[in-house]
Amino acid sequence: MIDSIKKSSIEFFNTNGLPSKKLENWKFTSSKNFKNFNKSSSLDEIKKIESDELSIVFINGVLDKHSLENFKFADLIEVKNLNELTKKELLYCSESFLNESMFNLGVSEFENGSYISFKENSVIEEVINIKNYFFENGQNERVSSFNIFHINERSEISIIEEDIKENFSIFNLKLNKFICENSSIFKHGKAYNDDSQTHSLSYNYYQIEQDVALNVDSMVKSSFFNKEFIEVDLNKVGSDAKINILNLGKEEQHVDNNILINHKAEHCTSFQHVRNVLDNKSTAVFNGKVIVAEGAQQTDSNQSNKNLLLSLESNAFSNPQLEIYADDVSCGHGSTTGALDENSIFYLRARGIDYSSAQKILIKAFAKEVIDDFSLSSLQDISEIALDSWIDG
Amino acid sequence: MIKIKNLEASIDDKTILKGIDLEISAGEVHVIMGRNGSGKSTLANVIAGNEAYEVDGGSIAMNNTDITEMSIENRALEGIFLCFQYPVAIPGVGMAYFLRSALNAHRKHQGKDEMDALEFLNNAKAILSELGLDDSFLKRSINDGFSGGEKKKSEILQLLTINPKLAVLDETDSGLDVDALRTVAKGVNKFKNENNSVLIITHYQRLLNYIKPDVVHLMIDGKIVESGDMSLVEKVEKDGYSWLEK
Ligand SMILES: Nc1ncnc2c1ncn2[C@@H]1O[C@H](COP(=O)(O)OP(=O)(O)O)[C@@H](O)[C@H]1O
Ligand SMILES: [Mg+2]
Repeated sequence: MIDSIKKSSIEFFNTNGLPSKKLENWKFTSSKNFKNFNKSSSLDEIKKIESDELSIVFINGVLDKHSLENFKFADLIEVKNLNELTKKELLYCSESFLNESMFNLGVSEFENGSYISFKENSVIEEVINIKNYFFENGQNERVSSFNIFHINERSEISIIEEDIKENFSIFNLKLNKFICENSSIFKHGKAYNDDSQTHSLSYNYYQIEQDVALNVDSMVKSSFFNKEFIEVDLNKVGSDAKINILNLGKEEQHVDNNILINHKAEHCTSFQHVRNVLDNKSTAVFNGKVIVAEGAQQTDSNQSNKNLLLSLESNAFSNPQLEIYADDVSCGHGSTTGALDENSIFYLRARGIDYSSAQKILIKAFAKEVIDDFSLSSLQDISEIALDSWIDG
Repeated sequence: MIKIKNLEASIDDKTILKGIDLEISAGEVHVIMGRNGSGKSTLANVIAGNEAYEVDGGSIAMNNTDITEMSIENRALEGIFLCFQYPVAIPGVGMAYFLRSALNAHRKHQGKDEMDALEFLNNAKAILSELGLDDSFLKRSINDGFSGGEKKKSEILQLLTINPKLAVLDETDSGLDVDALRTVAKGVNKFKNENNSVLIITHYQRLLNYIKPDVVHLMIDGKIVESGDMSLVEKVEKDGYSWLEK
């Protein structure tokens, strides 16, 4: 089954090529550097990673089964290779991803994807660390991966993903699917606290069933290119999706969020809050869209994008959108872009706080408003430390 | 304490202050009254060093040090404190953190050790209770969602925490009900001693029922046109300002 999907994916990519600026989600994003990377070959040597009982390790996008031997909750999970999946719908990702050239490229290239399923009623209080190690194999390699996490009914799972790599150039093309079954709670935290040479392009598809609480919290600091697609299908009634993202950009970095939330059922709520802090010549793009389908009454959705520009050469492109096909809904959206407030700086300085400290206090305050909304306190801690060092650096 | 000589200032090429002379000695309370738009807040901002205003002439000296070109924060550290007419809200910055940073900046400048969190908290709580504010005030963000009265009390809390040499109160009395006004006045009187000075900017008499000024100045169109004692306040309340215009 995988082989036929891969075949049509490579055909799609070969027909469409690299994404052009004519596409809405690529209007302010250049894909020209993508050409500099070649498909990776599999690692020559087997890397041994020491992992603790709360960690699941991936090496160049492939599950490291050794890490499961120590894993405290090994009994609660079932792991398969994606090749073994027989139900096609398990592999399905959104229609819009299927129309993305780079998604198709990723599908055609990934090898040894994993399907990790948390059994019904798995309530895990501890946060599970998903550690994504990357090792250099050849120069300028593109590492494609596809992994599926299935959170079954009434399970409560929290994960924090971290990328761990030395300083080398890589294109990380990462496809993930998350299935949240009825009455599950899933908290997905991400910390990209990387060196500046990584190109990261990720596609995250969340399939949400009934009465689910989903949180996606993400902090991105210092990566050369980071474009993330998040698509959430709220398929059944009573679910809630909250997405909180903080991006810190410096130098010529590019951070980019493309979020699509499909309200397909009644009584669902969604919340997107994306803040970008941009220094030097960095750029941020926010494409946020909420689609409320016909019949998805009592939808309550909000999207907010705020951009703080610390230099005249930094740029933020913000495009919050709403498409509503139901009448009994409450949908808000807004976006602001601006520099630090001069009056606030004056106020702090008038109390004896020096200019540079005043700036730092205000940058921190701006960023903290998203961090405070993160659902995972350990990600809040990681983010605050990263933020402090970013501000001081 | 402060000596202002022939001060001229403008904003966006519009001249607002047209030659202000003002000298306040230690232990004195001065009042500046004037109609809306006469330049009172401009004077307060220029004293505090607000860079939005251009100083076109004259000088400001604080305890014989010329501060005309000094940065905002250094003036504050030299002892100037402006109680803002419209304090800004700064979401995300907690009052406790802010007050402690401000206080420690002053202590560092004075060659003292930083105050530790516990000592700071005890000090702050004592001031809060005098201002009729709950301890939870410290957990809120600076002026964020504060009522008019809370904003003014927040300014007084900062005044009493920092304990500067010169307090410039820009319309600190406006928009307050009687209780809040009394609380604010109590705070100012607590601050006041023979070694520091207060400059009150107002256009009402009400605050002056609680704080007795030594000198009253009347300002019209960017100039101090009359100085005297409390009787000037009464005359202005009765007759307004038109008698001062030629
Ligand atoms: N930021 C500003 N930009 C332009 N004009 C200003 C600004 N601030 C004050 N002014 C002008 O300066 C004059 C004096 O204002 P202000 O000092 O606020 O007076 P007061 O405090 O006595 O009411 C007014 O005419 C006002 O319009
Ligand atoms: Mg004024």
